[in-house]
Amino acid sequence: MNFSLTMSPSDLLLLLPEILLTVWLCGILIVDFSFPRLPNEQLAYLSVAGLAATLGCLIWFDVTGVAGTLFANMFVLDRMALFFKMFIVGSTILVILASVDYIHRFRFFRGEYYFLIVMSALGMMFMASANDLLSVFVTLEFSTFGFYVLVAYLREDMASNEAGIKFFILGVFAAGLLAYGISLVYGETGKLVFSDMKSAQATPGLAIGFLLIFGALGFKIGAVPFHSWIPDTYHGSPTPVTAYLSIAPKGAAFAILLRMFFVALATFKPIWVLLLVAASVMSMTYGNIVAIAQKNMKRLLAYSGIAQIGNVLIGLAAGTKMGNDAILFYLLTYLFANLGAFAIIIAVSEAIGSEEIDDYSGLGRRSPFLAFSMLIFLLSLAGVPPLAGFIGKIYIFVAAMKEGLYVLITVGLINIVISMYYYLIVVKKMYISEPHDPSPITVSGPIKAVLYVCLAGTLVIGIYPQPFADWVVSATMMFSGLADPAVSLPVPPAVTPVGG
Amino acid sequence: MGDYALLYILFAPFVGAIALIFVSNRQAMLVRGIAAGSAFICLLASVYLFYAYDHVKGGFQFVQKFEWSRQLGISLHLGVDGIGTPLVLASGILLFAGIFVSWHVKDRAKEFYIWLLILAAATIGVFMSLDLFFLYFFYEMSVIPMYLLLGMWGSHTKKYNEMTDPEGLKQRDSVGFIFNFGSNSKEYAAMKLVLFLSAFAVAAFMGILLIYKYSGLNTFDILVLREHANLMNIPVLGTTLDKIIWLLIFFGFASIAPLWPLHSWSPVGHAAAPAATSMLHAGVLMKLGHFSIIRVAFEILPETTRELMPIAAVLCMFSIVYGGFVAYYAKDTKYVIGYSSSSHMGYVFLGMAALDYISLTGAVMYMFAHAMATGMLFAMAGWVYDQTHTRDIPSLGGLSNRMPFISGCFVIGCMASIGVPGTINFIAEVMIIVGSWNKYPFQVIVAVVGIVLTLAYLFKMMRGLFYGPMDQKYSHAHDAVSAVDRLPLLIMITVSIGFFFFPMHLYNVVRSGVDPLIAKITRVVPVAAETTGLRLEARGDNNTALADRSVPFASAPVSGGRP
Repeated sequence: MNFSLTMSPSDLLLLLPEILLTVWLCGILIVDFSFPRLPNEQLAYLSVAGLAATLGCLIWFDVTGVAGTLFANMFVLDRMALFFKMFIVGSTILVILASVDYIHRFRFFRGEYYFLIVMSALGMMFMASANDLLSVFVTLEFSTFGFYVLVAYLREDMASNEAGIKFFILGVFAAGLLAYGISLVYGETGKLVFSDMKSAQATPGLAIGFLLIFGALGFKIGAVPFHSWIPDTYHGSPTPVTAYLSIAPKGAAFAILLRMFFVALATFKPIWVLLLVAASVMSMTYGNIVAIAQKNMKRLLAYSGIAQIGNVLIGLAAGTKMGNDAILFYLLTYLFANLGAFAIIIAVSEAIGSEEIDDYSGLGRRSPFLAFSMLIFLLSLAGVPPLAGFIGKIYIFVAAMKEGLYVLITVGLINIVISMYYYLIVVKKMYISEPHDPSPITVSGPIKAVLYVCLAGTLVIGIYPQPFADWVVSATMMFSGLADPAVSLPVPPAVTPVGG
Repeated sequence: MGDYALLYILFAPFVGAIALIFVSNRQAMLVRGIAAGSAFICLLASVYLFYAYDHVKGGFQFVQKFEWSRQLGISLHLGVDGIGTPLVLASGILLFAGIFVSWHVKDRAKEFYIWLLILAAATIGVFMSLDLFFLYFFYEMSVIPMYLLLGMWGSHTKKYNEMTDPEGLKQRDSVGFIFNFGSNSKEYAAMKLVLFLSAFAVAAFMGILLIYKYSGLNTFDILVLREHANLMNIPVLGTTLDKIIWLLIFFGFASIAPLWPLHSWSPVGHAAAPAATSMLHAGVLMKLGHFSIIRVAFEILPETTRELMPIAAVLCMFSIVYGGFVAYYAKDTKYVIGYSSSSHMGYVFLGMAALDYISLTGAVMYMFAHAMATGMLFAMAGWVYDQTHTRDIPSLGGLSNRMPFISGCFVIGCMASIGVPGTINFIAEVMIIVGSWNKYPFQVIVAVVGIVLTLAYLFKMMRGLFYGPMDQKYSHAHDAVSAVDRLPLLIMITVSIGFFFFPMHLYNVVRSGVDPLIAKITRVVPVAAETTGLRLEARGDNNTALADRSVPFASAPVSGGRP
């Protein structure tokens, strides 16, 4: 296989967001070294400015319809890649804003924190474009590399170190699985690019290879049975890193999963649907049942995150274009609700120094704004109308219903009720229990900004989802060839409202 | 006004709730003013709706349709028929009355009104949804405000306070908490209510999704589905799909009604809730169940309804008798009223089960009548509780000296709840009993016994609260003297008595909604038999006999039974 790496300037345009971010990344590091007395907030706003410029560039691409492939199909830029890039850059901006307050807890390397966050974002942006098993491996490891450091950033904190070790060992193990899986697949097919594998024959080697790759990606998204690192790592990491870890890598990994299942493995759908159904049922049930027993907010959200991923896998198991739309839509709703909830955890732990659920007692009296926002985010995660999470869940269920996945929908619906219990326990603490310490909690500016954005996202998507649904539908246009009942919509017969 | 009446009714409380977010709790009068103002707009618009509804034309009126999601086939499709209109009016009245009943809420009043307004608006939304998705949307939306209203402003029941160390119970947040029947704390009541209703709501939603899938129309629109969805004769799991869907929808929505044996969340919830919430809860929230069954199961699956509705006829007897007996022995005022509500909801199920013009009209009118009666009783139980801080009937007594107005109204409330002539409840009850007699004579006898029971427990409670010797520690109790406190009771009493003397418009409106529905349900078998000839054999003689019996009504659907 030979790569032609000749590039024209117009090809380079496709890489513009990544190049811009790379240059900015180096800029952040240089500024940090050159001006050691610069307040950390300035560095945060500098990073946000770079990310905002990248986001603007991505939006410009999306609007003008820039698309293409590079490096012999290793790098692809299409509407879906753009969607996930915007998703990643948007969540990075929110995470950086949410960490401005938190940063004083780091004794060393405060400037490098922003560098690492933005570097991971860069890695994940490449992940969203990976169209080839080699680029999947490289970009996945590139993005995880930053997280290995970030998770253990609280150097004096034993929990953070433990989280780092756990994440590192299991992450490296997952990387090994991925490399082994890739080698098996390459050995069986002789191909690396997803779209070249369409005609591959089903052999045991290929099946094991893809199973191993799915395992590695399952590790990234935290689906049962690859979830074991999640609770401790989420618990021990610095909270902004947890927030970041809980959303951005999942989005990037779903970009790869979608390409892998629907481009490379489209012909094997009856087989992998079973795999996804099993993973989905286990994730939802395990995540929700274990979450009931949690006493710590971060662990609660960790387990609820496992359950949420189970919900997303329902959409993947549907295996239709509509299912993919639903995945993108759901991740969007999850982004706002989850990041918002973590931003509140940061704000509360800054004020009272605790992340235990019990210490949220009386938050409704101490800070009505925080409590109300938390209520909205938790209810959105639980799937209560009129919030975004409800529409996301309905979208997923409708997509799965069209494919007749009754068992999965039944399990999903039962899990909504289970999840409502533990989310309401937090609501109960915040609103019904009396505060241990009635002093009011103030919220800093950057956190407020994050919360306003997340609240707006959660409410607007919930009340008027049409533009967002249109967006995700256009983002997954590449899958429109899939057999999908939604493509040929029967026009509902007109009916007159009168006449009983 | 005019065509947009539904939007005013639905969005006035929402807008009020949003406006309240920006008001400080310190401006108490402004908070109340906004709440009362938005409730008043809602009330005015619903009164207009009720009288502007053209019962001669019938059908769905004031229809509004906005596309909401193309991909999922959802549109915000609003419209009311003769069944929805009186329930919207009842919601408007109870919301307005509820704002005044809770006029004296001190603790976080703003939040209280916000959740109360959202609760009422969501309830109203169900009554006017012509889209299955939005029906479920508003239904779910009405559950969460209940949690906060019960949890934040509710009260523990007596049993809970008697425990030596109620807060010291460890592991209250664990799984065991759900099954901890001993502690009737407000947290327990609220959690039980939410989990119970959500669990059954998702069952109903599963039914809705199955309708969506098997109709193959890619729409949730009830008007389209009821005419074009063909869900019959699809074999699934040894039975047919329509029966599974019907059972999911019936039991899913019957849990909120509440039908025995799915009632256990309801009295606990009533007891824990603050007065205004109990009013809305018993007055209109419980009617969501009956209404949704009528709207979804009756409209979309008329044949199956005919086959399976006898289930309701059996279960409603248990509702009536069980609720009545528990209410008789209950010692807590709100438990008495709560169980009496769940007992009275059995009458509505009886009226629905008979599938007869008169009985279903009576059932819908009874929903309206019961909303007024139970609203009064809960408002007064709330007043007594506010004054005495207890709901324990044996320890109370002789309050009629201290509160003559309340005790006078209480008599009227009891009369209305029993169904004494002079209140709209009487007409509705008589219609249910007369209409069901042909089909379910045994159940009717049970229902009449139930009325006697109602008389017994309500009089027992009235005597316990207002007559006999008074404990001196309650000598500080006050009567409702200010206009603000008297207004809600007077409104509900006026409505309840007024409709007894002028029931024709209510009757005509309800009848215009019931007629096409029953005509469709009862006509189904002969029509199907003519066209296919096969279905009748498969169904057996039993149902044919039922169909024949209702033919006299079907032949004259408009004029039959109208006085």
